[in-house]
Amino acid sequence: MLKASGIYKRYGREIVLRNAGLDLNSEIKALIGINGSGKSTFLKIIAGIVQAERGEVFINGKDMTRLPPEQRNVGYVPQYPALFQHLNVEKNILYGVRKNKKASKAVYEKVVEMLALSDILRKQPRELSGGYRSRVSLARALVPQPHILLMDEPLSGMDIVVRKKMLPDFRQVLKEFQIPVLYVTHDHEESELMADSFAVMDRGEIRSVVSAAEAFEIIQNSTLQTM
Amino acid sequence: MSRNVIHALFLPLFLLLIVFPILALVVNLDVEGIRKTMTDPFFWASVKNTVLAAALAAGMALVVAVGFAYYHLFHRQSLIYKLANLFNDLPIALPHTVAGLALLLAFGRKTMGFLGETGAAFTLFAVILAMFFVSYSMAARALISGVDQMEPEVIDVARTLGDNPVQAYFKVVLPLMGESLFSGFVLGFSRSISEFAAVIMFGGNLPARTQVLASYVFTKVEVGELDMAVTAAVFCVALSCLIVGALSVRRNRYAES
Repeated sequence: MLKASGIYKRYGREIVLRNAGLDLNSEIKALIGINGSGKSTFLKIIAGIVQAERGEVFINGKDMTRLPPEQRNVGYVPQYPALFQHLNVEKNILYGVRKNKKASKAVYEKVVEMLALSDILRKQPRELSGGYRSRVSLARALVPQPHILLMDEPLSGMDIVVRKKMLPDFRQVLKEFQIPVLYVTHDHEESELMADSFAVMDRGEIRSVVSAAEAFEIIQNSTLQTM
Repeated sequence: MSRNVIHALFLPLFLLLIVFPILALVVNLDVEGIRKTMTDPFFWASVKNTVLAAALAAGMALVVAVGFAYYHLFHRQSLIYKLANLFNDLPIALPHTVAGLALLLAFGRKTMGFLGETGAAFTLFAVILAMFFVSYSMAARALISGVDQMEPEVIDVARTLGDNPVQAYFKVVLPLMGESLFSGFVLGFSRSISEFAAVIMFGGNLPARTQVLASYVFTKVEVGELDMAVTAAVFCVALSCLIVGALSVRRNRYAES
């Protein structure tokens, strides 16, 4: 599904990603790391928003390394919902539908139902609560049926109580569509509630781990070493 | 101590150097001057020329600034952007007589002789070009500030949903920049109506044809009809207040929403 390898990226003199790589199959994989560790940059490189200096990105066997974001068919849910404020909820959700309109319409109806959005379709984004904005952001990314979905701490701006309530809903929707998901987080509980498998971003490299607990152990050891 | 210095300096200097000259205009208004000016067809022609040329110049400035803001957003490393950026602020530092002379040489008799004896110079079109030259950077600044305030994630999402940079710009960025577009137009318009030097150098000061409010005031002072100059000047102040007022009402509404 996704195979990224040898990703190297620096901003100025600071090397953010050294030799980062990751395989993603039909699963929800949590990519765990502390703030500023390069998780979001890695995600943006997969999406094509940021260009890596070295490395390769293959999606469904196709080399996407040099393709712009609009040719990758990768869903992206950023940290803040980033809804299009000039469009109502329905138009936001349908924004990415360009081809396969019939199939996308079926996905749209299902997503709207599962995320309980039918009553707010005519509303403007500014009229929505934070929770609903995140739901709309997820729906908007899912409806065009992307090859993979990249989620960058999509609930980080929310209260822990709301987050705990929403995570099972999100997981259920993602499982229903059987879409491979790379879920970036720095929260232990969130990663366990969401993910099937785990990886950790450690000093610019990505390592597969068996559990969120192992990921946080690695992060803790690295932090102690650099102190 | 420092606060007292600010108190002691700011208000007196502000009143003396900004408010007092405006008041001096208003108190020098007289009924005869108002009557003569309001019945002078050249005055109304200069009002029409000013508003029409400034609106068209501001519109043109906005169109070009929309293009520049696109490069600012998506192609900041390109040579086109770097060059345009270099020239962007030039009209602010350049004496506007120089701008007028440059326009005269660029679009005058030598290059545009086929348009007539003076090329494009000394026509209303020349007035518009002169106003555009000095107002473009205001519009560009307003749009760049709007673009810089946008959440980059909004554009990132539009790109992953299938938009190329041009589509994202027109479908997502510009519709969210209503406030900046409005500011860009109003700032360009107000800069245009205040322009004198470049307009007079390139557009001339032909009554009814290329005369604008700024050059009308100048002419009336020159021929000694001070009462009419004062009336026209107060008219300019009222027009400027109207523009500034519209801008601030709109900004307040935007801040509230």
